[in-house]
Amino acid sequence: MWDMIRKIRQVGILTEPLPPFPAEYTQQDPQVELVGGELQQRTRILLGRSLHIRQVDAGSDNAAELEIIALGNPYYDMERFGLHIVASPRHADCLMVTGPVTRNMALPLLRTYEATPDPKIVVAVGDAARDGGIFRGSYAIIGGVDQVVPVDLYIPGDPPTPLELLTGMLIALDRYRGKSSRRE
Amino acid sequence: MFDATLVLIVLVAIHLAGAVAVYLTRQESLLTRQLNGIFGIAGGVMALILALIGLQRNLPGSGSTVLLSLEGVMPFAPLEFTLDRLSSFFLLLIAVVGIPVSLYSIDYMREYVSHPDQPGAHAYNLGLFGVAYQIFILSMILVVLASTTFTFLFLWELMALASYFLVVFEHRHRDTQEAGTLYLIMTHLGFVALFIGFMLLSGPALVGNTTLSFSELRISALALPSTQRDIVFLLMFIGFGSKAGMIPFHVWLPQAHPAAPSPVSALMSGVMIKLGIYGLLRITLDLLGGGPGWWGGLILVVGGASALYGILYALVDHNLKRLLAYSSVENAGIILLASGAALVFWSAGNTALATLALVGALYHILNHGVFKSLLFMGAGAVLQSTHTLDMESLGGLIKRMPWTALFFLVGSVSIAALPPFNGFVGEWIILQSLLLSLALPSQGAHIFLTLGLGALALTGGLVAAAFVKAFGISFLALPRSAQADQATEAPRLMRWAMGINAVLCLLLGLLATLLLPALQGISRAYLGPDQPTVGLAISGLEVRTGTDFGSLSPLLLGILLALLALIALWGLRLAGINELTRRSMTWACGRFTLSPRMEYTATAFANPLKRIFAFLYQPVRALTIETPGASPHFAQDISYRNPVRLWFEEYLYGPVARGIVWLARRASLVQHGSLHLYLTYILSILVILLVLTRG
Repeated sequence: MWDMIRKIRQVGILTEPLPPFPAEYTQQDPQVELVGGELQQRTRILLGRSLHIRQVDAGSDNAAELEIIALGNPYYDMERFGLHIVASPRHADCLMVTGPVTRNMALPLLRTYEATPDPKIVVAVGDAARDGGIFRGSYAIIGGVDQVVPVDLYIPGDPPTPLELLTGMLIALDRYRGKSSRRE
Repeated sequence: MFDATLVLIVLVAIHLAGAVAVYLTRQESLLTRQLNGIFGIAGGVMALILALIGLQRNLPGSGSTVLLSLEGVMPFAPLEFTLDRLSSFFLLLIAVVGIPVSLYSIDYMREYVSHPDQPGAHAYNLGLFGVAYQIFILSMILVVLASTTFTFLFLWELMALASYFLVVFEHRHRDTQEAGTLYLIMTHLGFVALFIGFMLLSGPALVGNTTLSFSELRISALALPSTQRDIVFLLMFIGFGSKAGMIPFHVWLPQAHPAAPSPVSALMSGVMIKLGIYGLLRITLDLLGGGPGWWGGLILVVGGASALYGILYALVDHNLKRLLAYSSVENAGIILLASGAALVFWSAGNTALATLALVGALYHILNHGVFKSLLFMGAGAVLQSTHTLDMESLGGLIKRMPWTALFFLVGSVSIAALPPFNGFVGEWIILQSLLLSLALPSQGAHIFLTLGLGALALTGGLVAAAFVKAFGISFLALPRSAQADQATEAPRLMRWAMGINAVLCLLLGLLATLLLPALQGISRAYLGPDQPTVGLAISGLEVRTGTDFGSLSPLLLGILLALLALIALWGLRLAGINELTRRSMTWACGRFTLSPRMEYTATAFANPLKRIFAFLYQPVRALTIETPGASPHFAQDISYRNPVRLWFEEYLYGPVARGIVWLARRASLVQHGSLHLYLTYILSILVILLVLTRG
């Protein structure tokens, strides 16, 4: 503890002041804003604050993952719309599954589905997640995600763009509303 | 109702007959164990009757009539036994712990009968065990009744020796031998202090008097100069403290308890270490009749330090029985802390608070006897079933030994002082007495008592952490080894014995108001009536402390807790929890199976606290990776050790032991066993003498 206090005293504050913010950084994509704003409104009404997503890679070629990761970058910045990627299915409202389900990932996918609390929605992202896509017919895969767990929504595309993903999540929220009202 | 003398004679006869009968039976038979248990229980029942007689009659605190005086048993002094308030209470403790433990030992000791597959492998002489066991219990009962110095010291030594033989029962293990030797050394160092203390205490009465009854000591103690009284107190404090397991004399406890058979650990920890407290109370309250404030202050500080030290080491120890042994150091510390506070209050003339603190101490003595023997019996059941006490290879026992797990949980909750169990009431009273200490005028006393309060509060939190670890790691989740996987429930009598203690834990918690007036009576008999205000008032189901300071009604609290639990369950049912429940495997990041290697370990559980208290533990990290081949990336064996520093062993006992060995080496220069050398000595001495006496 004393070491830390001594260091604070000796080193002082080293951070620099923030430079002025250029105007072009704040330009926004009207489409993203429109879909995102709608998403934010609906999540607030439906879930109180935000939607938590657990992403499951069930044997994907990473194309869909890149697009999902793009949702988190400063351009789309999905967290401002109330969409969060979380680290455990225990925290999730929604499973976002990518890839054809390989034989080795079938059981882990099922375990993940079981570990997610109800009510939950499963979104299959990409063509491969729908029916195997370009991998269809391979001995190593089981097929689409719906061969293992029930799917609520397919977002087609190989891979779907971030905007398509956001739009898809709007529809997914509708499905979620159906599920949560059935519970009550 | 009963004649106390008769009961005592029957009691002695039962234990002596038990010792003979057990020895005469065939060693391997069930009869040996049954006889040992039955005689133990019968003796316990007699002790219980005697205790109840003592508590019922409003005996004076000291100097009541002699129960039994045995002339001629010992060559130069009669053995005398008296029953008074303090001894009745400790008899109660011995009986309450002794009866279930004797019952438990019947099924437990079959562990030591040779197995038909491998004859003689684990077999030990159960007959000799029975003799030592009966004599151990008898000597504990008699030592609290002893009313002369000679009787007391004789029985104290008998108790120490009997317990030594019980500790080294599994004599084929080297660890056990070493633990026994350490115990023998420590107990005799204490005995030396006691012996000198008693001799100094008797003062002029010592001359030409071999009896030295306590009533004579009370008179002679008054005439002693104050320096001599201080020295007597310090010697007694060391002597009795080493038996009670206070630091720095606690070193034998963590060694002896794991080495001894479980019923013996239960008795030693539940009862024997309390007799150290008995001795200290007998000396300070009765024989010396109180002393200056620093006596109590010293006891309080050492007690607080013992409590913290004990529990901190319990926290990082992963041997179930050693953890319990360290926890005994901690509880002895709490009792000493409360006793010390009582002496401080008494010397300040505030008998109200002194009574409160002493009642807390006495109640905690009884409570600790009950729950610690329960926990040791639980640990014994685990040991018998899995043959290991290492928590890192236990786990999952709650499914395999549900009753043992339940009883161990009750013990853990009690020791963590959670309501409605007994530990809570005792510690609550002790805390109340310390909180009320601001009524004292002295500023110095405030500092010590407040520090004691802080130590007690911190200890309470750490106890909870230690026993969450003890129960959670050993009993929950998946078994960490094959032995733990194949564990089976404890035999019937062991379950009964643990059940009795578990129920006692609950009853002593709920019905504390029935027993507290008796303890108050004991305290008042020594401390005098309450002044200036009331310390402790018991009305109906309620316990009140101070003047409108604190109040507690354990039974109502228990009922309230039960009601709350019922309401919660009912509410969950109402919310439709049954329909909504969905069972699936524990989330393990999607892995196919759950493996015990994913579990939280005892080491990991203790590690945050190990880091916080790193200034005390000074842990040493030792990581060794063995790589047999050329590549450093293929490790064959990785071992990680993170032992803590044992301060007293390292810096006190280590140097002393080395010093003694050094001295012994020097002595061996002149005395090294060679006959020729000795003959040379004799010759040279003869020549020298002849030369000197030549004239």
